[in-house]
Amino acid sequence: MVKNSNNDDSLLIKKAQDGNERAFNLLMTKYYPRVYGSLYSFTKSKEDSEDLAQQTFIKVWQQIKSFRGDSAFFTWVYRIAINLAKNHFVSSAYKKDKVNLSADDLEIDVPSFSNPEIDLMHDESLNKIKTYVEKLPESLKTAFTLRETEGKSYEEISIITETPIGTVRSRIFRARENILTFISEELVDE
Amino acid sequence: MNNIEEKISALYDGELSEAELEEILLLIDDDPKLQKKLSRYSLITAAMNSEMNNVQSISSRNKDRKFNFWISNTITAAATVLITFFAINQFDLNRMGEDLSAKNQINIAINSQEAKDLANRVEEKLVDHVMHVINNPQNDNVTPYDIDLRNVGYSRVSPKSRTYNNGNKKFILRIEKKDLGIKKVRNWQHKDKMIYVVPLQDGRVITLYGNIDQESVTQIANTIKK
Repeated sequence: MVKNSNNDDSLLIKKAQDGNERAFNLLMTKYYPRVYGSLYSFTKSKEDSEDLAQQTFIKVWQQIKSFRGDSAFFTWVYRIAINLAKNHFVSSAYKKDKVNLSADDLEIDVPSFSNPEIDLMHDESLNKIKTYVEKLPESLKTAFTLRETEGKSYEEISIITETPIGTVRSRIFRARENILTFISEELVDE
Repeated sequence: MNNIEEKISALYDGELSEAELEEILLLIDDDPKLQKKLSRYSLITAAMNSEMNNVQSISSRNKDRKFNFWISNTITAAATVLITFFAINQFDLNRMGEDLSAKNQINIAINSQEAKDLANRVEEKLVDHVMHVINNPQNDNVTPYDIDLRNVGYSRVSPKSRTYNNGNKKFILRIEKKDLGIKKVRNWQHKDKMIYVVPLQDGRVITLYGNIDQESVTQIANTIKK
C-alpha cells in the first residue's frame, strides 16, 4: 500500500497546533510550492497564485487547530486553497479584486518565495530536474523516488531495498544534494 | 554540517524524533541558508509530483505575451466557468428529448481534480464566448431583430429587444455566424439561469441565456433553423 507522504508531518502539525510558529513556518516552506502549483493550474495567473497562496497559509494558520488528521495535511491545505480561489473568482465577479484578508491582520510573517524559486517553478527547469533524477546513481534514485513519488517511509524503503534505515536516510539526502547542486549549477544564477 | 543537513532532509521527510525536531527547528529558524535548502527540497517535491504539470514557462509566455494574454484570460475564464457554474451538459439537438435526464451530465465537484482537469480541456473559444455572453448579455450587434418566436410561445419584451419571455420564462437570444468548434448543443447552469449554445449546420450559432428549459430551446432552435 502506498503511504501518503504527507501523513508523517504529524509532529510538526501538532506543534503548529500548539502555536509553535517555527513548526508552522516549516510546514509553509514545505507546502508552498505545491500549493502555488495547484493554484496556478487553476488561475493561470502568477500574481493571483502568489496572493492566494499567501492567503491560504494565513487561513491554515487560523484554522490549523481544526485539522484532525482525517485526510492528508496537503489535501486539507489544498481544499482551503481551492476554496479561496473559488471565492476569489466569485466574489470579485471576474474583476481583479483581492481576497479581503490581509497578512497584516495577523501576527505571523507569511513568507513568499524569492523570484528565483518562483521562476524555477515556471520554467522548463522542472522537467530538467525530473530528467536529472533519472540520471542519478541507481541506489540513490531508487531510495529517492520511493520517498518522493511513492511516499514510502524510510522503514518501508529499508525493507524494499534491503538496506539499513541509516543508509536509506543517507541515500535520500545525497540524492537531494546532487539535485540541489544541479539546480544551482545548471538552472539558476546564484 | 553534513550531519545537520542530513537531519534536515530527514526532517523534511518527517523522519526525525521529537527531540531532534526541536533541535533542527531552532537551527533552521536562525539560518537563511538552511531555510533556502528546505525551500528547494519542496520545489523538488513539486517537480516530482503532479502539482506543477500545468505550470507554463514564464520565459516562453513572455516571448508571446501579446498572444498569450488572451490565452491566459481564456483559460482563467475556463476555470471561472467551472467554479461558478454547476453543470455542463452536451447533447444532440435532435435527441434532446432523450437527454433531458442529463445522462451525460458532468457533475463538477468544485474542489476536485476533475474541475482542474476539465478547466484545461474546455474549448477556449467556447468558454470565451460563454463568458462574453454572461458579462455582456445585451452587447450584441449581429443578432437580427426580426426573429419571431410566437409560434413557440415567446414574444419580445419590446420591439427592439433581443429578450424574449412567455410570462414565466425569459431569455436573451443571440444568433451569430461563429465557429466555436462544437457539433452538439452545450448548456451550463449559472445560478438560476441557463445558457445554451446551439450550433446550426449553416454555420450560425444560437445562444440563449436566461430562465429557459431544454424543450423550449429545441423548439426555438428548430424555428430559427427553418
